[in-house]
Amino acid sequence: MAALELRAVSKTYRVGDREILAVDDLSLSAGDGEIIGLLGSSGCGKTTTLRAIAGFVQLTAGRIAIDGNDIHNLPPARRGVAMAFEGYALYPPLRIRENIGFSLLRERRPGGEIRRAVREIAALLDIEDILDHYPAFASAGQQQRTSLARALIRRAPLTLLDEPMSQLDPQLRAQVRTRVKEYLAAHRLSAVFVTHDQNEAISLADRIAVMEQGRLQQFGTVGELKNRPNNLFVAGFIGEPPMNLMAAEVEAGGARVKLLGETDNRAAAAVGELRLNGAAPALDAGRAHIGIRPHQVVLADDAPLRGRVISNQWLGDQSHVLVDLGGLRIVVVSAGRVRDLRKGENIGVNFPPDAVIFFSAKDGTALPRAGGHGGE
Amino acid sequence: MARLEIDRLAKAFGAATVFDGLDLHVERGETVAVYGRSGCGKSVLLSILSGALAADGGDLRIDGKSVIDAPPEARDVGMAFQNFALYPHMSAFDNIASPLRGQKKPAREIADKVQAVAALLKIDHVLAHSPQALSNGQRQRTSLARALVAEPAVLLLDDPLRNVDAKLRYEMRLEMPNLFRQFESAVIYVTQDSREAMALADRIAILHDGKFRQIGAPQEVYEFPCTAEVGQLLGDPAINLFACESAARDGALLVNPAGCEVNISGRYDLPAAGKYLAGVRPEDIDLAATPAPAPSADADGPARGIEAVVERITPANVRSLLVASTAAGETITVSLPELAAEQVAPKSRAWLSFPADKLLLFAADGGQLIRPNPPAGG
Amino acid sequence: MNSPAIMQTVFDKTRIADLLTTAGYALALTAVVLFFLFPIFWVLLMSFQTNADILRTPPSLFFSPTLSNYAAIFAGKMETSTGTQDITFLRNLGNSALLSSLSVLLALALGVPAAYAFARYQFRLGEDIAFTLLSFRFAPPLLVLLPMALYFGQLGLNDSYWSLVWVYQLIVLPLVLWIIRGYFEDINPDIEHAYRLDGNGWGATFLKIAIPLARPGIAAAALLAFIFAWNNFIFALVLASAAKQPVTVGALLFVTGSGIQYGYIAAATVLSVAPILALALFLQRHLVEGLSLGAVKG
Repeated sequence: MAALELRAVSKTYRVGDREILAVDDLSLSAGDGEIIGLLGSSGCGKTTTLRAIAGFVQLTAGRIAIDGNDIHNLPPARRGVAMAFEGYALYPPLRIRENIGFSLLRERRPGGEIRRAVREIAALLDIEDILDHYPAFASAGQQQRTSLARALIRRAPLTLLDEPMSQLDPQLRAQVRTRVKEYLAAHRLSAVFVTHDQNEAISLADRIAVMEQGRLQQFGTVGELKNRPNNLFVAGFIGEPPMNLMAAEVEAGGARVKLLGETDNRAAAAVGELRLNGAAPALDAGRAHIGIRPHQVVLADDAPLRGRVISNQWLGDQSHVLVDLGGLRIVVVSAGRVRDLRKGENIGVNFPPDAVIFFSAKDGTALPRAGGHGGE
Repeated sequence: MARLEIDRLAKAFGAATVFDGLDLHVERGETVAVYGRSGCGKSVLLSILSGALAADGGDLRIDGKSVIDAPPEARDVGMAFQNFALYPHMSAFDNIASPLRGQKKPAREIADKVQAVAALLKIDHVLAHSPQALSNGQRQRTSLARALVAEPAVLLLDDPLRNVDAKLRYEMRLEMPNLFRQFESAVIYVTQDSREAMALADRIAILHDGKFRQIGAPQEVYEFPCTAEVGQLLGDPAINLFACESAARDGALLVNPAGCEVNISGRYDLPAAGKYLAGVRPEDIDLAATPAPAPSADADGPARGIEAVVERITPANVRSLLVASTAAGETITVSLPELAAEQVAPKSRAWLSFPADKLLLFAADGGQLIRPNPPAGG
Repeated sequence: MNSPAIMQTVFDKTRIADLLTTAGYALALTAVVLFFLFPIFWVLLMSFQTNADILRTPPSLFFSPTLSNYAAIFAGKMETSTGTQDITFLRNLGNSALLSSLSVLLALALGVPAAYAFARYQFRLGEDIAFTLLSFRFAPPLLVLLPMALYFGQLGLNDSYWSLVWVYQLIVLPLVLWIIRGYFEDINPDIEHAYRLDGNGWGATFLKIAIPLARPGIAAAALLAFIFAWNNFIFALVLASAAKQPVTVGALLFVTGSGIQYGYIAAATVLSVAPILALALFLQRHLVEGLSLGAVKG
């Protein structure tokens, strides 16, 4: 029920005489009812950002507004946000039931209404059977769901969740994600959550903000992040497995591209050549990085790029094949099963021109394609 | 003689039985993934194997010698912990060298071996650093190097990729089988990620309710789970299960899971009017925008589709997850390749069909797998 | 939308507010420090004044500093209005150092392994024993003093350093045990277990892993135990003769028939606080070092 806006938010911590820039000039805005995921590895600034929205972190610079009203100087209790903490932060002397209903009790809601609301949210998260237990006797997963329930029951204009499902089994996690998403949608609640697990971000969020070293790398839908990454970092981070990235030498006009090996190995000899039919960006001849998503690589016996199979793993619903193109390793994913490929076997791979993405060798930003073909 | 033999192992805490009668043999160089939900006893099993906990019954043999009463230091077991458990007051080098020092190896040999295993795991440039100065991925590799360096008879891995990020987890998943092949340990790999188990293991052992419910090659366990329960445990998303009945019509044997008729003549020889549990993996379901043609008597022909509404589409990696519901209220999970799923609109109508050659039948009571006939001419 | 100028004033306002907050903190902290350090400062000043200067009314911050108090203590001769008296303060200081050091060493030798056992192993009556040891801290020393004096007399243990060190364990051992136990419990058992798997017995694991990782706790416990032992008064008063008494008892000599010798007391206090202060500063490095840095949080 609220639109969130962060404008040029920065946070600097002082540790001794060092200054650590935890969040660096971050701007993003989320619409009413949108679920935003802050995704990044540990230390990327995502939790600091969440805590700044909640009001536990004083901004060094910038503003935070909910529905157009600045809130960054308000105390946490007056911001209209509910939060589930990574460490659960349950009240130990209260039963699970009382923990969940605590905020409603504080608002002096009638007892019958509180009981109904607690039952409903407990059913949603499958913790009905432990409502009369104390937190100390609940498992980590149950405590985490209790903390989640305590935040969701408030139906606050903005719900903040810090690693909300890290302690759940994979299958339970998938179920809880779906239910939480439906609950938020049913009540038109906005939410921001922090996670290091991209599967969680992908399945729970409407849009994802990828962060690294305090900076926002890209903010967009899953499709945008996967198919049109802003830079090398996002390309190498998103997707499981992430995009294959390699250094290349582009011929003037972009008709032909020489593959040089892994991105951090600048001395590599050319391992092969691609013909991209003018799909390459209009750059002068020279170095670039190129990327292709693993499931867009085509395994073909008659393909010009030749390599050796290093491993072939079947995961039940997909196969992952690691191919060595002579110093350059690429991962090929097939949604079916590649049964007959053995370790050491010689195989050809093909990069469909449409699937190849170019990045600047200088700063790693994505380059637009020639002729607007498939690009923005 | 297997490298590691677990023989009727039992453990209980007071009245609560963790497991009872576990049997598992792991060969030299073999990797067995012990897979189960949290709380299934995986960690307790590792603690017993490593000697941190005493078993209540059964035997444990390493290279034929019983070690059930041996202290941890006398077992020839290496272990990589989920939380890495590095020695914070020692450098990465000293961490990795620790098992060799425990064996009183000469300094020269220690330096060589540490260097070799560190190079293999690409951490040879950070050997002088303390654990605090390492990245999470480097800590994980250091802990793995420490477990491997002395080439123990048994290598225990406690969900070692749980605390590392996706990119590294993926790289390690592809590298680890090749790494283990260079050592001759019997590897026990504990995980609760079914894909990880499928990718890394030579065999998977499904631990559930105190027993190994099934032990077999990943393909075998995935394609022919011995019970419906095992089918549900292994696989992400989980297998669809529907109650169904068999019926004979025009000389063909049909079942009707979720109202979708499937001709199983040839695959199964079953009486008509029997009650079963039908299982079909989400990735095996065919989804079409238009109704499929009527079924022919031929078992290989396309099955009749059931109309359903696609409730939601969740993009996962490589594949997308669709949840569809039928008019009769059945919910069906379908997994489609990402590119195919992009063609399907949420809330649109679709026709789902279950291919007969992928359908599994389980007994209605007890859920035991009813083995299908081997495919003809195969 | 804000124009850049308005944004600028917003930032300036925040900056001024920040500055005020910082100044406020500084003031408050200074007040606290003054409040707590004032007695020490006052004693330090007193130690450089003669008794006459100290006792004049009204008191004044201005005086002519003198080293006579210190000189007398080092010379062992105290000048009072009734004459010269011998003082054994330096010997008391030596006794204090000896008694406290020996007590702490013995407490660590006994307490560290015991704390480890209580932290890592569950055994019959374990919690009861640990609590009983702690309860020694609750009992008023006077309760046990009289019977103990009698027993010590009969056993011929009165007036020996070792008997004092033994009795001091009542004060320092529970402290050492309970502080260090907490630190051992905080060490992730997986780290010790990993070391066992590396081929080391429990003894080596205790020495090479548990003790180094609990070092901040051991340092803190040792320091506290040293202070408690140093400050003990009643045991030494009853159980030791003048030759073996520590500074706390020795300071009684300054309460003379001709009045209380505040100047000497102040100088003696400064001298007796100095070793503890030095020890605390020396151990500070070990106290602040973090724990369990090799494991990730669960």
